[in-house]
Amino acid sequence: MDILKILRDIIMDIMDVEGQTITAETYLVRELGAESIDLLELSVSINQHFHITVKDDDIFLRNFRLFMVEAERRGEAPADYLGARFPFLSAERIGEILADLEAGPALKIKDLVSYIAFRSKG
Amino acid sequence: MNGPGDRPKGLILGGTCELALALAPGLIEKGFFPILSWRDSDGCGKINAALADYSGRYETVRFDLGDPLSLETLFAKYSGFDFLVDFAQGDYETLIAAADEDSIRAYFSENVAARAILLKCVARGMLRKKRGRLIYVSSSAAERPAPGQGVYAAAKLAAEALYRSCGLELAGKGITSVILRAGYVQAGRGRAFLEENPEIIRQVPLQRALEADEVAEAILFLLSPAAVGINASILTLDGGLSAGKTGIIKH
Repeated sequence: MDILKILRDIIMDIMDVEGQTITAETYLVRELGAESIDLLELSVSINQHFHITVKDDDIFLRNFRLFMVEAERRGEAPADYLGARFPFLSAERIGEILADLEAGPALKIKDLVSYIAFRSKG
Repeated sequence: MNGPGDRPKGLILGGTCELALALAPGLIEKGFFPILSWRDSDGCGKINAALADYSGRYETVRFDLGDPLSLETLFAKYSGFDFLVDFAQGDYETLIAAADEDSIRAYFSENVAARAILLKCVARGMLRKKRGRLIYVSSSAAERPAPGQGVYAAAKLAAEALYRSCGLELAGKGITSVILRAGYVQAGRGRAFLEENPEIIRQVPLQRALEADEVAEAILFLLSPAAVGINASILTLDGGLSAGKTGIIKH
């Protein structure tokens, strides 16, 4: 199953992204301008197409910053703490996000792909 | 013809109440396919007896806001609904300062939190279809509770706010909502109250209680395409009761 291809079709159906190239590296909010209602529709469509239960907070990395603060308060390494909260993200990807947060919402298409692949296995 | 076919399918929550049973025939005759919820087998029997003439043109389903498992079963059976008419409301009359603490928690969990979860599931199904109508049947007690109706009124106001926000958030995706606040109605708990307190009708400018069929007709209108502009709004259907000062009206 080509998750990325299906996901791209879903996004093109939901959002006004004509003329934009959507790759695994595309930022959902920063580049495509996804708003909360778009993310909701996306979650519903992912649930429908991939037959998985979608937790919006997880797939859209909603509490990423909150967990960073929590890790700091508990004196734990942020990468490990975040890895346990977002088990579908690789350690490498979590490192990337941590380095990228300053520039805005770091959510990329490939994070959704990872989530769908992870949930489909279960 | 049995089963919904391509008719708009709607969940009627609290499907055993008199108002729901007054609404169902009208829905069926207008080409809708109602699915009426019940909580125990007596309720299921009551629906089937009331709708005996409409066999195959409606369905019933067990659903209880107080039972999270029944939500799972509901959505395992039905992938989505085109409309929702929500009559469900637990009765809990007590002075707030006299209320049992566990009962307060349970009441809000069932009537507010569980309703929000149900709305989430229903709305997500409607988002897939890109259309849907959400109707919440509230009560004039939400705005003007009698002493003893504080917990009930708070839950009603909270539920109204949930429905209003759904209409606010999702109208752009074809999903709208409306809240209907009914006043004194000759049905169910309302009838029992009116029998005990007949003098109360003198406070209603219309000088009578509403009939269940009148409320049903109002709901049918709210489900019609002509009413789609009535979104995220609260309508009052109380014969004028809440428009003026309370007290006996002299004519």
